[in-house]
Amino acid sequence: MAAASLPGKFLNRAPSIIPGFGLTMGITVSWLSFIVLLPLVALVLRATGIGFEGFAAMLGDQRVLSALKLSFGAALAGALINAFAGLIIAWVLVRYTFPGRRLVDGLIDLPFALPTAVSGLALAALYAPNGWLGVPLAELGIKVAFTPTGVVIACMFIGLPFVVRQVQPVLGDVDKALEEAAATLGATRVQTIFRVILPMILPALLAGFALAFARAVGEYGSIIFIAGNLPFKSEIAPLLIIIKLEEFNYEGATAIAVIMLLLSFAVLLAVNLLQSWGRRRTGLGS
Amino acid sequence: MEKSVLTKASHDTSPTGFTPVRIEVEGLRQSFGKFPALNGVSLAIEPGELLALLGPSGSGKTTLLRAIAGLATPDDGRILFQGEEANRLSLRERRVGFVFQQYALFRHMTVFDNIAFGLRVRPRKLRPKKSDIATRVQHLLKLVQLDDLGSRFPSQLSGGQRQRVALARALAIEPRVLLLDEPFGALDAKVRKELRHWLRGLHNETGLTTIFVTHDQEEALELADRVVIMREGVIEQIGKPADIYDHPATPFVCEFLGNIIKVNTTIVDGLAPALGKSFAPVGDASKGPAVAYVRNHDVDVLPDGSEGAAAKLLSTRTFGGSLALEFDVAGFAAPVEIHIPRMSDAPVAFTAGALYRLKARKAYVFSGR
Repeated sequence: MAAASLPGKFLNRAPSIIPGFGLTMGITVSWLSFIVLLPLVALVLRATGIGFEGFAAMLGDQRVLSALKLSFGAALAGALINAFAGLIIAWVLVRYTFPGRRLVDGLIDLPFALPTAVSGLALAALYAPNGWLGVPLAELGIKVAFTPTGVVIACMFIGLPFVVRQVQPVLGDVDKALEEAAATLGATRVQTIFRVILPMILPALLAGFALAFARAVGEYGSIIFIAGNLPFKSEIAPLLIIIKLEEFNYEGATAIAVIMLLLSFAVLLAVNLLQSWGRRRTGLGS
Repeated sequence: MEKSVLTKASHDTSPTGFTPVRIEVEGLRQSFGKFPALNGVSLAIEPGELLALLGPSGSGKTTLLRAIAGLATPDDGRILFQGEEANRLSLRERRVGFVFQQYALFRHMTVFDNIAFGLRVRPRKLRPKKSDIATRVQHLLKLVQLDDLGSRFPSQLSGGQRQRVALARALAIEPRVLLLDEPFGALDAKVRKELRHWLRGLHNETGLTTIFVTHDQEEALELADRVVIMREGVIEQIGKPADIYDHPATPFVCEFLGNIIKVNTTIVDGLAPALGKSFAPVGDASKGPAVAYVRNHDVDVLPDGSEGAAAKLLSTRTFGGSLALEFDVAGFAAPVEIHIPRMSDAPVAFTAGALYRLKARKAYVFSGR
């Protein structure tokens, strides 16, 4: 009797109407192991081939360092800009009805749907020195194509849907009575936005930011055309991995990959900690 | 309830004192598209009065409350707070304590922060010191009997507790009037009753002019000093609960207050027969078709052979202190239900299938049909 009830207690689950916990949990664990964890382990094992000195040399390489800096810096900048722009777009889509709203709403997903090479070509054509936007910008003395600015713009392009799609449903759930309550209590519109609405959607905004960042760090296709890939200047880390591979420098490629993996993991962990700190502080989502 | 700093007597010295305000509503009109939600409503609410706006959904009662709060802008008409026109005042200047139907608590803030919100958003010059805010919030927490729950989040409270937090939050801004939208709508029957009594006590203590909206006639009649019955954007009747109950002005009021038997009848020589007795109509119609309303408990059940309408008992059923008897009466399509008081444990002295006579003690007759 005691032995029979032990596993149930250990897994801490209530009897459910739909059985199959064992089966689904089994699939979950093995799936995650084979599809996600195993390749990562293989990557790390492969990278250990170059040893500690190899890693140190890699981190000492100016070209690798500037590529990593550009990849993460541009991804962070793009995600930050998207957090602002995406929030405003989500607000407009949720709060107002206007002609063409559905069209605008559909447009948001375009960066999702486009093959990355297509968006890369489109951006390059637009911002190239002889492109539609490239010419007037050049007259103002701003160079976008073949500079880090171009990389940031590509990151903005591909990351936008993540923020909008995360924030939109949460914003839609914010009860209008909350704003009215704040107003009757004497809050101004600005106070209502910053003290009532923003704190409520902050978790979703952070999640959207993290997704946009993660996508932008790993992006390749839509960046390389506009970036121009000048070493030390506009060369991104994923491209450097490809270059090392083409030079048959597998250890070097995997080493950069592992560094990217660790950095991405650190950023996502930081965002998660921030979210759980927010949850504890505000009781939201608990 | 504990005596607190919020009593009327201390309001001159206390920072949380309330001054009751007279509110006047003049010719208020508002329509949503083609649908008129308020169709010329005029009303005066005395300082310190507890007023109920009662009506079915769509009667305009919530629209009226929101207009007084300033949450809706009427198309026409005026609202006066102590003689001062409120239409031009901002929500902040109106100082209206509004308790929302679903409470609208800020769920990312603790109970304490919710209550302090109205004080913290004040312009710096008018904002109390941090320590003063804390003192006032503590007083309010005590007033709504949630002394120890200041650090909880709304999601960790019961429905009744959330309701009281919403009330404390509304009181924190020293409102000139307290408005409550269906304050007990989302609560279960027992909590609802307790809160009703508690709210009455709180009203007596603060002396605030208070208006609440409800569709529950029992709630309105029990709690309010005066009841406003609304229908399709106009006021059907205003009066003290007992007056409205004893002298309903229109057929609508009769039907809305409920527990009635509707009798189709005819006025002859100024009298209309209804369930074994004749009654004078409301108003002065002397003849013509009419409708009589008899309350279920305003009917005597007499033995067969007495004077009254012949009726055959179909079934009996007890509920609480009452006995409900269902009769088949000639001229009535549906069975007629009569309520008579009953002692606990007393045996039911009526037999189904037997014949009785029914005689109404009181009926409200309205000419026309």
